[in-house]
Amino acid sequence: MAGSAFRESFRPWVWAAFAVATAAAIVLCVSLGSVRVPFVDATREVWLALTGRPAGDAKVWSIVVSVRFPRVLVAGLMGAALSVCGCAMQGLLKNPLADGTTLGVSSGAGLGAIVAIVFGVQVPGLPLAGTTIMAAAFAFLSLLVILTLAYRLDRSLSSNTIILLGVIYSMFVASISSILVTFAGDKARTILFWTMGSLASTNYGNAALLAVALLAFGGVLLTKRRELNAFAVGEDNALHIGVDVKRTKLVVLICVSALTGICVSVGGTIGFVGLVTPHMVRFLVGPNHLRLMPAVIFGGAIFLMLCDLAARTLLSPRELPIGVVTSLIGAILFVNIFTAARRKGK
Amino acid sequence: MTMLEARDVTVRYGDLTLVDGVSFTVAEGEWVMVCGPNGAGKSTLVNAIAQGAPYTGDVLFEGEPLRRMKPPQVARRIGVLAQSNAALYAFTVAEVVRLGRYAHREGFFARGGGGRGGRDDGCDGGSGRNPAGRDDELVREAIERTGLAPFAQQSVLTLSGGELQRAFLAQVFAQDPRMLILDEPTNHLDLVYQKRTFELVREWLRRPGKAVLSVTHDLSLARAYGSRVLLMDRARIVSAGAPSEALSPANLEAVYGMDVHAWMRDLLEKW
Amino acid sequence: MKHKSPLAAAALVLAVLLAMLTLSACGSGTDADADTTAPAGGIALVDQTGRDVILAAPATKTVALAASDAEILYALGAGGTVVGRGEYCDWPSEVLDVPAVSSGAETNIEQIIALEPELVFMNTMAQTPEQVEQLEAAGIAVYSSDAKTIEETYSSIRDFGTLTGKEAEAEGIIETMKATFDAATADKVDGGTIYFEVSPLEWGLWAAGSGTFMNEAAELVGLTNVFADLEGYAEVSEEQVIERNPDYILTITMYYGEGLQPVEELLQRPGWETVAAIQNQAIIELPNNELSRPGPRLAEGVQALSDFVHGR
Repeated sequence: MAGSAFRESFRPWVWAAFAVATAAAIVLCVSLGSVRVPFVDATREVWLALTGRPAGDAKVWSIVVSVRFPRVLVAGLMGAALSVCGCAMQGLLKNPLADGTTLGVSSGAGLGAIVAIVFGVQVPGLPLAGTTIMAAAFAFLSLLVILTLAYRLDRSLSSNTIILLGVIYSMFVASISSILVTFAGDKARTILFWTMGSLASTNYGNAALLAVALLAFGGVLLTKRRELNAFAVGEDNALHIGVDVKRTKLVVLICVSALTGICVSVGGTIGFVGLVTPHMVRFLVGPNHLRLMPAVIFGGAIFLMLCDLAARTLLSPRELPIGVVTSLIGAILFVNIFTAARRKGK
Repeated sequence: MTMLEARDVTVRYGDLTLVDGVSFTVAEGEWVMVCGPNGAGKSTLVNAIAQGAPYTGDVLFEGEPLRRMKPPQVARRIGVLAQSNAALYAFTVAEVVRLGRYAHREGFFARGGGGRGGRDDGCDGGSGRNPAGRDDELVREAIERTGLAPFAQQSVLTLSGGELQRAFLAQVFAQDPRMLILDEPTNHLDLVYQKRTFELVREWLRRPGKAVLSVTHDLSLARAYGSRVLLMDRARIVSAGAPSEALSPANLEAVYGMDVHAWMRDLLEKW
Repeated sequence: MKHKSPLAAAALVLAVLLAMLTLSACGSGTDADADTTAPAGGIALVDQTGRDVILAAPATKTVALAASDAEILYALGAGGTVVGRGEYCDWPSEVLDVPAVSSGAETNIEQIIALEPELVFMNTMAQTPEQVEQLEAAGIAVYSSDAKTIEETYSSIRDFGTLTGKEAEAEGIIETMKATFDAATADKVDGGTIYFEVSPLEWGLWAAGSGTFMNEAAELVGLTNVFADLEGYAEVSEEQVIERNPDYILTITMYYGEGLQPVEELLQRPGWETVAAIQNQAIIELPNNELSRPGPRLAEGVQALSDFVHGR
């Protein structure tokens, strides 16, 4: 048995391959779109923008630099964030059906947005921020409520308690949302758009917010890769090998909730990404979180960017709701991977 | 020399008292067997010692209360082989075994929540620092010792129950604790695996500064491998001492309500 | 409502398909001028889904479920007959004093029966055939409107007039509307394109395509709808608006009390600087459903659009 048999992290060429694949996806998504822009023109405008120079062709600049590029960035960052959350939750709870929404935080964020819409909540000095900030605040409140309840019920914060509470909390919040929608009158349509999730109108500001959140919370999640391995093998086992089980759970749940809440506040509820990408990537690189977590960041980014590309182009000039595309493509891929994995005994 | 000392350990679950004021010691080189019928509180007791369940009373490891230690500090002293382990994700055998090294890692990114204790305890097998090379070495050694080398890169999902349990035995060997707690790890395994596991543990125990605390309801195994036996019944220790003493006909009669010796002999005669 | 599971997504797709099927099924057989037998001195006509509507006398107690139904009734001077309104009916303001009932998928038949109307007006878009059957079983006449064009709107106004005994008023309204449309057509601009924004960018951009009143309005005043190649209302890509570069933008987006007003928001959208309508600030706001409801106020909408393109 060679020493390399124990190698747990990626070799440099694998990192390079991830970087190249992600870059290729970005280039593809920026050069293709609802409106056909020649590849050379698109890359020229992006290059001009990146080097801080003025537009070459005003219209191409508008389409590619002002509209398409920030949207691709947001799709990539959000895909990465949702996937890393899903991956952490599937490991932590040793449950392949978990994702960032399991805790009920995204339902909570959705409720926050609905409250903001129905009651016209505004944040002084920050136009357009009411729904976003309310969504983030409610995501955080939801986490507090769930963790408090979980501690009351079960001091050890067992996985089953967390999942059960998350499901019940989501249903509870969904029913409150429905009640609010009943009273919303004309605003009901606005709310529907929110709950469907949308990447339209995303801008560089959103991308920056997501990047910072991913760096901060995703970064902390990455430091918990060994602990996640232990949890994925079994929570009791994690305890026995010396993992601070409670603390790890708390840290992971907080980071996942914060990241999920921020994603919901930017793009609404985009389903299936956090659930499906970890499975796809696990199929490729195995379940070891030392490899899985970083790989999932790239995989999630690529997956959502490509889904968004499909949403933008398949029925052009029409646009498909992004949630529908992720669910459709995700479900098909999911079934394929599952059967393939079963056959390989993975 | 006393390694582990339990003082008046009590575990309650609601109104139920599962372990009621139990005190005992485990010395270096000893293999202490906790025996007794189902529901006597054996597993609850070792679970409490392994930090899985809240208890009152004290458990001291070389005079220091375990309760005040961080999880990695405990794990460097005590390793646990649980009754059963179910795999869900396709980790390789080597990856599962390597997890045993978790508590020995150094550095900011490697140290799992709360390993701030540093090397204050001399429980890392003698090498002050702990380079990754030593981790590899211990993992490899544990895999080879348990005969898992051919499976090392295989997914744990493809293993039989016995092979999977051996992977976790290898993990706890790689963990390199001072004391090993076995919670009926061979319960659902066939005789070959049973024997193999116990032989491997006995071999491990021969190293200096080791001890084993084992829960079993198999009295013959307890007699064959134990250096001392704690017989439990209804949350209390009813007798303790050398296997032949603790498992005397009178003691067993009191606990099991039947003549266990006669039954055992009867079973053997059929061979 | 959240599409995070494949099931939910599948259910959504199914629901949309079903809705489309139902709509196409209802749409057939509209203007059969059939042999309806009216009781002596009574009223009999065929509604826009081909069903017979028979009344012994002009209705004195009606329920209007769709907002456009209420608008027509009030314009006819039959507002006094309205004893119940759908929850989204909001024009004219008097209608808000009438008790509201649930409409659409949540329609509560008992609630309607309790108001004891002789006639219920509803829109095929929002209501189901089962609801119609239930009401008829309770002895309440039902008129289903299905107007998708200005011409069809005339016919429903005429029918509403007949059913409430306001024939003359109905003809009057139709004449006024026609006059407005004729004036706008006579005044036609020579070319120019327009983009109709139905929902704000934040929720995904929805535009009005062909087969909508907005499209018809554009044609009347001589403009071309940039999304005439799409049927009905459609979610479109932002890039497409920039590419199609409309000369005018008409937004029917309501202001929800947060952030910028719709027009200001349009003006500051990144990437839209190159759009002619943005450069010339040629944006008109019609947030009161003038051009989305099949009712008399279509004339107001067309008038407003005509005035706008002529800079009046």
